[in-house]
Amino acid sequence: MARVLLVEDNPHHVELARRVLAARGYEVLTAPDGESGLQVAREQLPDIILLDLGLPDVDGQTLLGWLRRVPELKDTPIIAVTAWPAGAVPDMVAAYGFDGYITKPIHFSAFADQIATYLPHSASA
Amino acid sequence: MNPCQLVPASHFTLEQLVEAYNHTRVDYMVPMPMNAARLAEYIHVYDVDMEQSVVAVDGERVLGLAMLGVRPDRAWVTRLGVLPNRRRRGVGEALLLYLLAASDRLGISLVTLDVIKGNLPAHTLFVKWGFHETREMIILRRPPGPPQHTAAGRCRWLSRAEALAVAQTRPRPLTWINDTASLAHADCVLGLTVNLPCGSRGWLVFQKHRYYLTRLTMATVEGDPTAVGRALFYYLYQAYPDIDTNVENVAVTNPHLAAFLDAGFVEAFRRVEMYGQPLHGCGGGPWPGGTVSPSGKARR
Repeated sequence: MARVLLVEDNPHHVELARRVLAARGYEVLTAPDGESGLQVAREQLPDIILLDLGLPDVDGQTLLGWLRRVPELKDTPIIAVTAWPAGAVPDMVAAYGFDGYITKPIHFSAFADQIATYLPHSASA
Repeated sequence: MNPCQLVPASHFTLEQLVEAYNHTRVDYMVPMPMNAARLAEYIHVYDVDMEQSVVAVDGERVLGLAMLGVRPDRAWVTRLGVLPNRRRRGVGEALLLYLLAASDRLGISLVTLDVIKGNLPAHTLFVKWGFHETREMIILRRPPGPPQHTAAGRCRWLSRAEALAVAQTRPRPLTWINDTASLAHADCVLGLTVNLPCGSRGWLVFQKHRYYLTRLTMATVEGDPTAVGRALFYYLYQAYPDIDTNVENVAVTNPHLAAFLDAGFVEAFRRVEMYGQPLHGCGGGPWPGGTVSPSGKARR
């Protein structure tokens, strides 16, 4: 069972995502901000991390750098979740080394499938 | 349109304001949420006057808020937001008019603001009340990494006092965020100068924030801005290869923009700066505890 860490400050989005992903067999971990997200990631070593770029303490781009410095997470897929202007997003996520991005508003019917594409086959739900 | 009650933001705790602010921005294309520590820093660095800033309420429920930065010569409308399900009812307009009236009472002649490019409802509101565009600005990000190019020349690092002194030499007008007054309120401000063999020279001032480098501002004193910029970034990232960088409000006409891009910066989003004037004799607030209709006229 793949473990997904969602770092997201909007509780409504968190709850929706949790329901959608749990229904597909994912174990869902959550954190509402960057510092707690780093802590959960270090302790739980999820199979994939979804980062909201806009977090209340530190933004997702900076958090990505922190996560990549954790040796056990250097190959973990880290996906940006963002409503930022679509034109700027591809260059931004590529420059920072995200493994991909999902744009907001999230289409929850396709969300689990989107995540599955980033997981190694052995870690899929 | 429903009335709302306008209350000075000083009547609320930072935690209440942060909760309200984050709710108003939840569907923004660039939400920029905050926690209380971040808001406290924002208020301090940008001279936000909490007595002049305002929260719109309907009974116990917060509908929106807006803040006013105040400096001797001008004011800055910032963090204006309304709950998604309470928009298009005049609340945003009431908040704006409150701030414009406050600016008038303070004797300020120029009110500025920055609006995210593409935020049409906000832009329309500001134009309605006399604001006009002055410049387009880019928010730039650079991921951690060593310098992407080498550079020749001599570098000298500046102390905080030296850095603030050179930053003060920048031509006006500066954006609120990048003004020297904002830099002066920030912790860990440093700088460096470069002198290139070709005779070009310039300086860079920045803040080493807890999480990233930010508040970068640079100038070419003599010669080629692109060469000066490249050299400055070389020395900066030779010293700080492992830290993220976030630079706000770089004008699209900035002569060092090519150097930013060469150094590995990417565009995050854009803002448009707008200038306007206080509202004279509008009859609206602030009346703490009073009610303001969307037209700005007070009702008791």
